[in-house]
Amino acid sequence: MRKWWFLCVFLVLWHLLGYALARRSGPAQWTDAKPDRSGAQRIVSVAPNLTELLYALDLDEAIVGVTLDSDYPPAATEKAKVGTFWQPSIEAIIACKPDLVVTLAFQQHKSLVARLRRMGYDCLTTDIWTVDDLFAGIEALGRATAREAQAEQLIAGITAKTRRLREILQDQDRPRVLWVVQREPLRVAGQNTFINELIELAGGQNAIGPTLHKYPPIGAEQVIAADVQVIIEPTMVKGDPSRQRDQALAHWHRLPTVPAVADGRIYVIDGDVVSRLGPRLYQGIETIAQCLHPDVLGE
Amino acid sequence: MTASVQLQDVTFGYHAAHPVLRQISLAVERGTFLAIVGPNGAGKSTLINLLAGVLKPRSGTLSIDGADIQSYRQPELARKVAVVRQEFIPTFAFSVAETVMMARTPYFGQLGFERQSDHRIVTEAMELTDTSQFAARPLGSLSGGERQRVFIARALAQDTPILLLDEPTSFLDLRHQVGIYDLLKSIQQDKGRTIISITHDINLAAQYCDQVLLLLPCPVDSSSRAAAPGLPGPAHYRMGPPSEVFTPERIREAFGVGVFSAPVGRETVILPLGRLARDADRTDPRSAPRENKP
Amino acid sequence: MPRLLSPKILFLRIAAAALLLFLTMLLCSLVGTEEISLRTALTGSADALSPNPDFEILMHVRVPRIILAAIVGAALAGAGVTFQAVLRNPLADPYILGISSGAGLGAMLAVISGVNWTLWGRSPIAVFAFAGALGTVWLVWMIGRVTGKFHVTGLLLAGVVVNACFSAVIMFLTSIAKSQDVYATIFWLMGNMNEEDFFVLWAGAGAVGAGLVALFFISPQLNAISFGATDAQSIGIDVRRTQFLAFAISAFITAVAVSLSGLIGFVGLIVPHAVRLVLGPDHRQLLPLSSLVGAMFLVAADTVARVVVAPAQLPVGVITAMVGGPFFLILLMRYNKKVGWLT
Repeated sequence: MRKWWFLCVFLVLWHLLGYALARRSGPAQWTDAKPDRSGAQRIVSVAPNLTELLYALDLDEAIVGVTLDSDYPPAATEKAKVGTFWQPSIEAIIACKPDLVVTLAFQQHKSLVARLRRMGYDCLTTDIWTVDDLFAGIEALGRATAREAQAEQLIAGITAKTRRLREILQDQDRPRVLWVVQREPLRVAGQNTFINELIELAGGQNAIGPTLHKYPPIGAEQVIAADVQVIIEPTMVKGDPSRQRDQALAHWHRLPTVPAVADGRIYVIDGDVVSRLGPRLYQGIETIAQCLHPDVLGE
Repeated sequence: MTASVQLQDVTFGYHAAHPVLRQISLAVERGTFLAIVGPNGAGKSTLINLLAGVLKPRSGTLSIDGADIQSYRQPELARKVAVVRQEFIPTFAFSVAETVMMARTPYFGQLGFERQSDHRIVTEAMELTDTSQFAARPLGSLSGGERQRVFIARALAQDTPILLLDEPTSFLDLRHQVGIYDLLKSIQQDKGRTIISITHDINLAAQYCDQVLLLLPCPVDSSSRAAAPGLPGPAHYRMGPPSEVFTPERIREAFGVGVFSAPVGRETVILPLGRLARDADRTDPRSAPRENKP
Repeated sequence: MPRLLSPKILFLRIAAAALLLFLTMLLCSLVGTEEISLRTALTGSADALSPNPDFEILMHVRVPRIILAAIVGAALAGAGVTFQAVLRNPLADPYILGISSGAGLGAMLAVISGVNWTLWGRSPIAVFAFAGALGTVWLVWMIGRVTGKFHVTGLLLAGVVVNACFSAVIMFLTSIAKSQDVYATIFWLMGNMNEEDFFVLWAGAGAVGAGLVALFFISPQLNAISFGATDAQSIGIDVRRTQFLAFAISAFITAVAVSLSGLIGFVGLIVPHAVRLVLGPDHRQLLPLSSLVGAMFLVAADTVARVVVAPAQLPVGVITAMVGGPFFLILLMRYNKKVGWLT
């Protein structure tokens, strides 16, 4: 019986000691970004769209590390790699000696930020899920890197172009669009996504009504019932879009009653441009608009 | 002197409606060598399990050394009663020495290791059962009979005043059968231990045991008087010295076989004979089936 | 008396294993995706303006992670030994009584509910996974007890049932959850070794260490119980108490391990076997040495997982599975040849 008492006492003492030691070495550094960011000279970006934004803000010199999937602009591929967007490598990030690490806001990145901050690194988390988020994110990046002017310019440019597009298209009908994220099983972009925002900015409307999921799996029945006029598939993999288009046509051939299939309005567009909320936002919107209103805008 | 083991009107059944043991009352004096015999299904192993504290009687009291068995905590009971059951191969490959030493677990020191006294007891137990040569071998590599001796050694190492054994010699060759009985007898005589052993070998039991408990299957209908004529006491069991219990009539009643019996020295040898046995014509008429009586 | 364990031999073996563990940890701290040099790390200066990345990487990334791997590996191996003894089943692993699905459900609920508070700096996933793991074992224990006093089969069946139910709930939640939540949960569950802060490591080491010592205290009883409950009872072991302690402590240290690093399989299954093969089944030795070997194994596996497909990282569970699979094949072959070490 004695040995059990010893064990319990030891356990309690151990924890008290640990607590005391932890207090002594100072509170954990949960610092928020330091106020003086006048010159973030060494920036690591942990997401491809953030990389694009940094380049768009004239920060190409300051970028010292990007993820493997940051492939635009092409110059980004020359930079040191810090793992992938899903799995950033903390060692590689540290090896770049950054003074600012920019991340997105989902779970993986949030835990990365927590770890980096504990070590005293400066991090900026941008919560980019919608188009408005994108603008807020651009502003935040601008503030953090002393590039407010470029940020404003970027936002203004995108806003102006989208406004002009809206004016051109304002009298047009809004075709019903099915945005296919995955063909088998069929998953599409629902109304609660930024894709939906792009579609609307491009002068279309989502063929699918409100759904519980953001990217709901749906059945063929619903496709027919939705009276889809245009089908858009972003490229899934790096490769020849025309090959994917052939596959898409073969697949959709099964539902000839759908107006999009009957009219041959099935489009395959560059996935990166439309799925990354970044500086190429307008290009994405324009590409979609060209699919939706070819008569007005030309191919 | 209180009896080592005492049963008073003990009844037990795995299901309430079918008792396996019904109103058993008996006393085993200290230092007795008792054999339990009976046909399969009579409840011999059940009785051993009751005595070991594994099963609880549905009614009646069972006392060990004067105290009700229910009043013992398990470690205390283990200092009074050791059990040898059918040998088996455990999941993990423990050696013979480790297996026998396991009996001393309640006596280990603070860190969980054996003491000098434990070593001495275990060595002695293994020598007595002729298993010292296997000390380092895993249990699985021994024959059934050798393993049985190891389990007996383990029970001996528990160093208890009462030893229960469930058919300890069933897999042993003649030499070891006799060896085990000699060992049990010497423990009884030299150390005053109480030995209770289930056995099918009635002749060896007659040679070594002081008392025999003959257990018959419990009659299903408790009101029936299924007693053979001339059999005193309750129909379900019979206890007494071998000469009283091992008679041709009782053997016939209990086991349903005819026997040839003849006195050899102080005891009578009982030889079961079937219809086609060579000496079938020498079957004792008292054990012959009634239909064939001339 | 040949071949019996003595305190002196045990102490020597534990010391040797501990030394080996220390060396392994040292060696692995020098391996990683980035080239670092020990000299630069130790002698280079470090201040806010020009941090010494070698030092950072070594002391703030690798060492904490390696310590974590050691803690988790020891916990899983120790729990594995105990479950195999009590369940008398060499195929038991620490997750057998529903801990894996309980932790998974907890993790999933944490992510979906978007809860943000932390406990001692541990993320909500870790806390919920810990609670889920312990709660599930408690549930299984309660259900299993219905089948009878010491019934091991009842416990195993209860574990199977609970696992099935919880897995169904997890599948349902997966189907309605946001995809990034699902991904996050799965990734977390697949096993991940991240640096934790000082107090978390300290407390985790204390909890797991104390648990392993407690299990060592009941090792002689575990030896007896692995023969069978009735058998152990006849020798004088308090079977009920031993079973309860064994389950409670093993479940606790497994829950701690899972909350620290997700579900890492095979460590709790194959390390006990490997050690038993070499040193025999005496739990007074098997337990401490399996824990030390488990720690070594996981430290090494984690290092390999980090490095082999750099700059990406494999979940450490992949490495443990890749080692565990072939190991089991070899086990099966030896069993077929009846070398006699298993039965």
